[in-house]
Amino acid sequence: MRILIVEDDLEAAEAMERGLTEAGNACVRAADGELGLAAARDGEFDVMIVDRMMPKMNGVQLVESLRREGDQTPVLFLSALGEVNDRVAGLQAGGDDYLVKPYAFAELIARVEALARRRETGSVHTLLRVGELEMDLIGRTVFRQGKEIDLQPREFQLLEFMMRHAGQSVTRTMLLEKVWEYHFDPQTNVIDVHISRLRSKIDKGFDRPMLQTVRGAGYRLDA
Amino acid sequence: MADDAPARRFRLPRIFRTTPFRLTVLFLALFASAAMALLAYIYVATAGEARRRTEAEISREMHSLESAYDRAGLAAVNQSVIERAASERSLVYLLMTPDQKRISGSIPVSPVDRFDGQPTWTTFSLTDVDAAGRTVKHPARGLQHRLAGGQLLFVGADIGEDEAYVVQVVRALWGAGALIVVLGLCGGLLMSRNVSRSMASLTAVVDAVRGGDLGARAHVRGARDEFDELAAGVNEMLDRLERSMAGHRHAGDAIAHDLRSPLTRLRARLEVAYLDVEAGKGDPEQALAQALEDTDGVLKTFAAVLAIARLQAAGTAPNQALFDPSELAANIAELYEPLCEDKGLDFDAEFGKELQARGNQEFLSQALANLLDNAIKYTPSGGAIMLRVRRRSSGEIEFSVTDTGPGVPEADRERVIQRFVRLENSRSEPGSGLGLSLVAAVAEAHGGRLEITEGPGKVGEMGPGLRVALVLPRA
Repeated sequence: MRILIVEDDLEAAEAMERGLTEAGNACVRAADGELGLAAARDGEFDVMIVDRMMPKMNGVQLVESLRREGDQTPVLFLSALGEVNDRVAGLQAGGDDYLVKPYAFAELIARVEALARRRETGSVHTLLRVGELEMDLIGRTVFRQGKEIDLQPREFQLLEFMMRHAGQSVTRTMLLEKVWEYHFDPQTNVIDVHISRLRSKIDKGFDRPMLQTVRGAGYRLDA
Repeated sequence: MADDAPARRFRLPRIFRTTPFRLTVLFLALFASAAMALLAYIYVATAGEARRRTEAEISREMHSLESAYDRAGLAAVNQSVIERAASERSLVYLLMTPDQKRISGSIPVSPVDRFDGQPTWTTFSLTDVDAAGRTVKHPARGLQHRLAGGQLLFVGADIGEDEAYVVQVVRALWGAGALIVVLGLCGGLLMSRNVSRSMASLTAVVDAVRGGDLGARAHVRGARDEFDELAAGVNEMLDRLERSMAGHRHAGDAIAHDLRSPLTRLRARLEVAYLDVEAGKGDPEQALAQALEDTDGVLKTFAAVLAIARLQAAGTAPNQALFDPSELAANIAELYEPLCEDKGLDFDAEFGKELQARGNQEFLSQALANLLDNAIKYTPSGGAIMLRVRRRSSGEIEFSVTDTGPGVPEADRERVIQRFVRLENSRSEPGSGLGLSLVAAVAEAHGGRLEITEGPGKVGEMGPGLRVALVLPRA
């Protein structure tokens, strides 16, 4: 993947670049909003990581300019401002996801991958398939090896998200944000309990577990 | 030699610089001008009147003497003049030959200098001797006519008596004016002292606050005037300010306290790990993993402190909207229910129908999550947790979480809401100690409150439990 990092904090940008490069991505860095805008116009990127507060041109202005020019590259906002208002403002400007600083690196990678993936599967499917798992989005049914699995509505949504991001690490925060639409940090890992319930339904009685725990990151659904 | 001492600006004593005193002086000046104008009018009016009266009397006398001459001739007039001049009347007479020689009368010479035969008015002075023997001059008016036979007749009158009256009136007016000015000044001084005293207490409070004493309060005298209103307003403002400052100070202390200890712990661990790794023993990977975990703990605490501080600083929660509280609670219940089941807790929920509340759903969801989280954490397995949403008869919306855990002794209930307070028996549980503080801050930011009461009571090993209610005002 080609990733543009627009971040004025040099050390943070270098750490990001190093980590993302090690994960097999090509990165370009820009140290302020204007340079970032120029770089974004110049090159083709799969994902842009944009800091919200920067000298010269802030992240929101940058993304607004790009969107006006018709650039639809997915944007992940980074910000020290985590309030609902700030997040809504970032998303309204055309950002696709919002990560509050400080963040775990695994969280950043997972979100960048999710954004890139979303672009690939832009078309509307009514049937999702991951290995032996089959999900009918209209009939709201799930089958593994042809055997129907009975899921609660929330479990269905959770599995749908995991299937859409199959093969990728998905963090607990991402699940809480995308499946439950809560943006606060629960004091206990409530998500783990929901995952283990889902796991018992889709993996129990089958020879091979599909829902994996990724240490230090979250979960992954493997085909 | 030049006087190089700095020119000291002359300053009036304080009392003369007050607004009420200045207003008094201004009004006195206005009053004095009006009084002067009135005085001038009265003078002109009375003085003119006195002169007119005198002249009328002179004219009448002249007319009567002339008709006597026409009727009975010079001798009769001469007789009349002699008689009248001798009487006690205040008029003076002079009958003269055509060449101005005195025939008879009470004065030796006519005051009219040039006489062309036409009736002529003149102003002159009459010399008189008063009771004390002093010679006094009175202003007088006189009229000179030529009689049909060529003789000249002069009649004059003292206008001094009338003028003295006018002078008296004027003097009385001056006196009254002076009295009014003096009384006005005294009144102004009194009034300004009174107002100054009211203002002084306010000024003292402002000075004290500027000096750093936020506890200073203005005295409300109970007069219900605008000064009381101002004093009450200032006091209320100071109350809010003090609360907010105390909150900030407390937040500062709390952050320092609660971040410093885990940071110290983190630093010590890293140091030990570093020494161990340097000495070739110990597992660097494990040390780093532990350090990361500690860092996350600090960050969580920091996020919670920040959220509370922001809510308290803002006063009211942002983005408030109407919503269905039962739906909000049901969503949170759905998130936490599996956690209860895993811990062997009986979870029950009761949601009122067709309820409406106003608030920030994100904050309220977090508050409810914290309440459930606490209940699950402190209730031993086999216990029960109940989540309930209802409308009170007062119209308030109540979210309550009741558990069958050990509860909180009544004496400690106020305290557990405070930041970072964790009762002794809960120290082993994970958590920042900020859960309930955040719930309280959320409740307050919605104009609501947090109520902590006893749960269902003691049943065997269980109980007495805790019931925490977040109460929102009627939407």
